[in-house]
Amino acid sequence: MNNIIEIKDLHKVYAGGTHALKGMNLTVKEGEFCILLGLSGSGKSTLLRCMNKLIDSTSGEIYICDGDVVNATGRTLRRIRRQIGMIFQQFNLIKNLTALTNVLTGKLGYVSLGHSVTFAQHKADMKLALENLNRVGLLEFADKKVKNLSGGQQQRVAIARALMQNPRVILADEPVASLDPATADSVMRYLGELNKKDKMTVICSLHFLSLARKYGTRVVALKDGKIVFEGTPKEIDEKKFKEIYGEEAEEVEIK
Amino acid sequence: MKNNKLKSIIQAFFTDLLFWIYMFGCTYFLIHCWFEIELTNIHILVAALVFTLVFLFVGMSLGRKIFSPTKLTELKWKKTFWGWTIVFLLIITFVVGWNLVEVNPYKFFTQFKNARGISSGIFDPSIIGYKLTEKSFEELRENDVPLVVLEKLESIKNKSHTTKKVFLLSIKKKLDVNELSEYKSSIFEYAQKNSNMLNRALTALAETIFLALLATIFAIPFAFVLSFFAARNLMPKTFSGNIVYVVVRTIATIFRSIEAIVWAIIFSVWVGIGPFAGMLALMIHSIAALTKLYSEQIENIDEGPVEAIKATGANTLQVWIFAVIPQIISPYLAFTIYRWDINVRMATIVGFVGGGGIGLLLLQNQQLLRWHNVGVIIWLIAAVVWIMDMTSAKVRAKLVEM
Repeated sequence: MNNIIEIKDLHKVYAGGTHALKGMNLTVKEGEFCILLGLSGSGKSTLLRCMNKLIDSTSGEIYICDGDVVNATGRTLRRIRRQIGMIFQQFNLIKNLTALTNVLTGKLGYVSLGHSVTFAQHKADMKLALENLNRVGLLEFADKKVKNLSGGQQQRVAIARALMQNPRVILADEPVASLDPATADSVMRYLGELNKKDKMTVICSLHFLSLARKYGTRVVALKDGKIVFEGTPKEIDEKKFKEIYGEEAEEVEIK
Repeated sequence: MKNNKLKSIIQAFFTDLLFWIYMFGCTYFLIHCWFEIELTNIHILVAALVFTLVFLFVGMSLGRKIFSPTKLTELKWKKTFWGWTIVFLLIITFVVGWNLVEVNPYKFFTQFKNARGISSGIFDPSIIGYKLTEKSFEELRENDVPLVVLEKLESIKNKSHTTKKVFLLSIKKKLDVNELSEYKSSIFEYAQKNSNMLNRALTALAETIFLALLATIFAIPFAFVLSFFAARNLMPKTFSGNIVYVVVRTIATIFRSIEAIVWAIIFSVWVGIGPFAGMLALMIHSIAALTKLYSEQIENIDEGPVEAIKATGANTLQVWIFAVIPQIISPYLAFTIYRWDINVRMATIVGFVGGGGIGLLLLQNQQLLRWHNVGVIIWLIAAVVWIMDMTSAKVRAKLVEM
């Protein structure tokens, strides 16, 4: 299978002097469900945000969907970004707009400014947005303001927004960290479905090993801005776990 | 390191210099007031310079203390020379202030009688005016008021009285007690009543409210666009981005620091005295103030949605429309209503210097010493400000919930 993501010797030094990524090398094949593990501050979020240039990397190369992310600007960058859906820990929806409008914003990378302020006139977009809401089981909430939805529902709206982009890659930055265990599993199930059914490549940072084992096809563990482990989820035993999370860590089960 | 030391010495030097100039300036002012001794600015400057240099070398510099890492609260001020100098500084500041402001408690407590006119106006505003016209006399005659009484009243025929009390005083002077008690009610009944002043004040008040409203409305589009360029988080951190940010911010600050009253003076010369000049003055000031309030609102938005919309591949304008505007629209409305509220209050003051509206009417009546008319105006202004204050607070509270 093709390599859809290639990262070579990626460094990121923040303005404050924090060296968040120290020479990251990572290749992801199309169709993989790649889990990023690691403590808070290990560089997971920075890595994910460098991949679609929400953060500028300091040095190194990133290729996603045949696009050179590091050197992309303007229109080229937006073309790369629209193929990459992103899910956030805090959902990052526009809270006082409806679920439907939030889903429609997923289309912004494909349409002109004039088109984007007259979405209601474009039947095809509306239909697609409703279909995507239906897919995450929220059709009846289409006209509700997002701030009136529960955490799990909001994250599903965010997934529908990403789907609207018809992406090849989905980056998920701790998508379930602010959800309760049951909701967390249902959100992960949707991501798993996108991976299996729609053949989307998913890169997802997580804290729960049980979820990683259930959905991941591959695990990459980060520590202090470096990759310390790469392999299948099954390969992570107690020893490996303590290597990643430190000696005092205990694995927490989530069912 | 060496650079830093030099910098701190320069800072200390200028702090000390300013301090000593101030000290000698104040002392000289007092000596000049009390003993009439003449000195020139040069004398003070030289004395201050000498003191600064001496204290800097002796190591007792105030500037050094301020810019040193030790906290001022940790210094034992009672035991140091500087502690006592600062106490002296505070005392001399107070004394000079008292002299400059010409504080005079004696006047305050003994000269209230001067304000009797205006206070009687406030407590007896000219809501309804009274006048005995030809017609009033005819009607009084038909209602069996004796000719003797009418003749006595002849001298105040067609004379306007601003309030009931003033009218009553006027009749009292003309009639004796019995006549007064018998015919007072019919005289009041047939006197011609008018509410000219109230009507004029209400018209002027409407003018003021609408000029404040228009000033606010015209300011909105300008401030709305400018606020995006004055928001730190939206402007790219490139050279040109910084330039735009700094220029917009600086202009807004300068325009805001020039009071609306100054703008009103400029515009009353430019377009002539009247509400239009007042509107322009308030508009300029509102643009600057709203730009600042709006842009601070933008700087406080949740960055999450901005990040998410960027990640979909949206361009800058799309990010503004979908991630920024929905977050700021209700605080913007709240600030705009607040600004209208402020503008109504400012419009009164602006009217004094040619901005039209109720301020102008107030000025005219005050200069003609028509205190009962002034009373009407003052009450109307107070009522409007009070009502606007309450409603705008209610509406704003609702908007914030949105």
